[in-house]
Amino acid sequence: MPPKSSQAPSSNAKSATKKLKISSSKATTVKLSDTAPSNSPRINPLTAFANTQVLSSTTMKASQPSQTSKSKGKGKEKEKEKGIYASALFDAQDDRLWVDIYEPTTEAELAVHVKKVQDVRRWLDEAFVGGPSGKLRKYRRILALTGPAGTAKTATMRVLARELDCEILEWRNAMEEGSSRFGDDGQNDAYTSDHESLFFKFEAFLTRASTCQTIFADASDRDAKLSSSSPSSSSSNISATRPHKRKRQLILLEDLPNVLHAATQQRFHAALQSLIGAPQVEPVPVVVIVSDAGTRGEARDERLASGVWGGGREGDGVLDVRVVLGRDLLGGPYVTQIGFNPIAPTLMKKALQTLVSTHFASAPKASGSAPTKEMLDIVVETSNGDIRSAIMALQFSCLPTLGGSTGKPARRKGGGAGGGGAKLVLEAVTRREQSLALFHFMGRVMYNKRKGDPPNPSATAKDIQRDQALDATLKDPPKLPKFLAVEERRTSRVNVDALYADSPIDSSLFSLYVHQNYTQFCNETEECEGVTEWLSWVDSSGGEAWYQANPHRFHLLTLGTLHSLPSPVPRRSQKMFKPEFFEYLNKEKDAWEAVRDVRGWIMGNGAVVGESDSLLGTWSRAEVVTGLGAILKARDLKNSSPRAPASHRLFSSLPFANGENRSGMRPLVEGDVASDGVDIPGEDDGVPAGGWSGVGEGGDREGGGWLEGDEIEEF
Amino acid sequence: MSLWVDQFRPRALDDLHYHQGLSARLKSLAASGDFPHMLFYGPSGAGKKTRITCTLRQLFGPGVEKLKIDQRVFLSPSKRKIEVNIVQSNFHLEITPSEAGNYDRVVIQELLKEIAQTQQVDLNAKQRFKVVIINEADSLSRDAQAALRRTMEKYMSNMRIILCANSTSRLIAPIKSRCLLMRVAAPSDTEMQTVLTHVAKRAYFDLPPEAAQEIIKDSGGNLRKAILVLEALKMQSPDLSGPLTIAKPDWETYCQKVAVLIVTEQTPARVMEIRTKFYELLSHCIPPTVILKTVAEAVVGQVDETLKPEIMHWAAFYEVRMRIGSKKIYHLEAWVVKVMSLYKQSFYQFDISEFS
Repeated sequence: MPPKSSQAPSSNAKSATKKLKISSSKATTVKLSDTAPSNSPRINPLTAFANTQVLSSTTMKASQPSQTSKSKGKGKEKEKEKGIYASALFDAQDDRLWVDIYEPTTEAELAVHVKKVQDVRRWLDEAFVGGPSGKLRKYRRILALTGPAGTAKTATMRVLARELDCEILEWRNAMEEGSSRFGDDGQNDAYTSDHESLFFKFEAFLTRASTCQTIFADASDRDAKLSSSSPSSSSSNISATRPHKRKRQLILLEDLPNVLHAATQQRFHAALQSLIGAPQVEPVPVVVIVSDAGTRGEARDERLASGVWGGGREGDGVLDVRVVLGRDLLGGPYVTQIGFNPIAPTLMKKALQTLVSTHFASAPKASGSAPTKEMLDIVVETSNGDIRSAIMALQFSCLPTLGGSTGKPARRKGGGAGGGGAKLVLEAVTRREQSLALFHFMGRVMYNKRKGDPPNPSATAKDIQRDQALDATLKDPPKLPKFLAVEERRTSRVNVDALYADSPIDSSLFSLYVHQNYTQFCNETEECEGVTEWLSWVDSSGGEAWYQANPHRFHLLTLGTLHSLPSPVPRRSQKMFKPEFFEYLNKEKDAWEAVRDVRGWIMGNGAVVGESDSLLGTWSRAEVVTGLGAILKARDLKNSSPRAPASHRLFSSLPFANGENRSGMRPLVEGDVASDGVDIPGEDDGVPAGGWSGVGEGGDREGGGWLEGDEIEEF
Repeated sequence: MSLWVDQFRPRALDDLHYHQGLSARLKSLAASGDFPHMLFYGPSGAGKKTRITCTLRQLFGPGVEKLKIDQRVFLSPSKRKIEVNIVQSNFHLEITPSEAGNYDRVVIQELLKEIAQTQQVDLNAKQRFKVVIINEADSLSRDAQAALRRTMEKYMSNMRIILCANSTSRLIAPIKSRCLLMRVAAPSDTEMQTVLTHVAKRAYFDLPPEAAQEIIKDSGGNLRKAILVLEALKMQSPDLSGPLTIAKPDWETYCQKVAVLIVTEQTPARVMEIRTKFYELLSHCIPPTVILKTVAEAVVGQVDETLKPEIMHWAAFYEVRMRIGSKKIYHLEAWVVKVMSLYKQSFYQFDISEFS
């Protein structure tokens, strides 16, 4: 690959300027590994290959250049350094964020549920060793970590990599690649456009990262590689590192190329596919981290999606794991997906308390005051499981000015007003665009809480107190005249406007969720009638085109549902389910294909029919569906030829089964993302029974057990 | 592969067995040289399309039967590709715009403009115009109908449109007023008997009159259904004697059973159960209006006299909703729940008038 090797030195030089540029504002010395290899005890093979994008695992982000020199390539030393940091911290007026200072370094420090960490650890073990049988290694090629932002996905990875003593090779998109100042890159046309050149580098990174290990592993192998592709400058580096023992490595992809661009996405998938396809003795596992994007889940219009004309998913601009990895990879045996849930309040509180105590213990003369317990509670509450935002908020709340203005009254009055003031400030700080998990969101609507509801038996005293406080702020509605007495309801505790602002899903998908779940919350058909009537009305209000849609759908539906549901809603451990709508829609799509086949078969599939018995086009699709059932069955029984396409059973055969078919229903659990509603068909079907199903969907879901136990009304 | 329905379909207006008056009218229209836009409407299985093709043959001669299928790709405003199958001969072209879903307007406009702007080049052609047949015209969106309206006037010189629909109620008035309306009523029992005997004769067997009566009773005026049933029966028991059990398509039996579910129990859990059934039906491509109609008819058969009009009223009500709305299941379910609570109230001797 000549272009790659020839391009390498220039990008290397660029990296030097990049780093120097950033660090020039600070009085710190930045040593670059390639100019001064002696700085690091162990040479990073990838910097030896002189690729800018490859930074070793412990390299801090470019925003903290002061640390770059200290921590480069010294993952193990970081813990020791931490003490030094802590003391040096306030002398040097360290302006780094707490998130970075107190990054977890051991498994115990992680605020993630133990089981999740175990899952990841097991996967890594299997990827490096191959599990108990040693055969799993082949299938542990790509691990996809998904979950909302701030759920410690990356932190878990880094901690585990450290504990397993493996090196993380991370890809980072470089921003200034397009405008090269060196003018020496005319040799390859990959520079003609931004993403081309960037992607070119990405591919190079992947190949190098995944193959360089063998160079160190085996001398003869290495020689072969060297003669073919390595730039001459790096051969000296390699010989220098020969005595070092080979290290475990893994490739971390978090800062992905722009996979929303269709062409880039294709190439990205192809690159990963070829990575998996390449036969390797010691494959380097790839970890892809995808934060669930904060877009609302949307149900697309049924008419668009159904029938033969619905051409699959549109590029709807949502970056989720399906887009990143693609259906083939995700359904294949090489990819394991582990979903992270929002951090549980208890775990987060513990972590924050530890953080606060270490912070103020290590720096007694630190500016700012320790946050009060109430403030900690508020931080935990408003963060909605996002630990990054929680720590940020905490740091902010401990700023001297803020601490002075809100902390003191809180102490003086003890609770009430002070907490309110702090809450107000914090809310302004931590308010997130999307702050309500789907699970809790649905719970809030479906449980239909109203003023003066008797408290739940499992509610804590605090919950009851909070409910009472809320009730005190609610006004009773004016008394209705006698003839409207049926419509009399107590004031709802649900604030529909706030709910709408926090909704993770759009009104169409919301209506599907309500539709799927409302029956369990009703006692009588009369209550059902109310809900369905609203669903039906809201669906049919507005016109055919999107711009004619009723803008108040969400409010109408929520209010209508709340009005119709019984109050209080009976508690019989209802379980929320995801809408089945989409599964059936996909089934319908397949059936339409079958209809088309049969229609073609009936009308003689020839293109030009001279002496035709039938006049083409005389069968409409609806006629095929409704009319042909009996005759197709009879033909099947008699085995008469010519045979009809076997797929006709998709629409003609409809055996009646008594009772409910619950097998196909997928429960909605904590941590599910809104976009799950628009599942790719067969996402769960593609799981073969092979031995790789260790951390599959099923086991993963059970992993959320600690949260399922949580009562919804805590929120 | 061709079924009897297709095999023995009349080709010329003279071969038609019933609605002779209509045939004569079509014939004179075709001869007049002043052929208008037409709208054929009537229940399914009445013979609309047969009459259309016969008329075409009358207009253009046997050349119209030389057909080819084209697959055309259209681009929606949002650059989405829409694939539509088009059946055409040298003289006419047939489309089912509902295959294009929401974008039927684009398809209609593009296609008609294209046809209208090309002259008939065959000098031997009997007519100077081409005919465009639009199937399932009643499922055209408003947009598409509005687009059609202008085109119909503008390109009258070299194009005629024949619309085919079950009912005129879903077509906008301007379209109806631009067409000559042709009602094709369902055949009467005796007419069906004639046709069935004719089919049997052409298939070289004798149809016992009792069997014919049985089939006719079951088909409800749908001749296509009757002939299909005849063929299926013939396949099952070649001599057609003895008691006949007419096999219904699965979905019909299914709808009957759903109706039983509605009447036997009225609880939220049952609503859930019925929803699954509806989903099942929908995923087998049964049109939602057909589901609603079939189930409603089955329910009406099982309830008290006083409830029947109410149930049908609400079925009609929710069918309208279904047409406007996008998620059919909501409306089906809303109807079911409505019927359930009506049934329950009458069962417990409530006064219904107060609630309606």
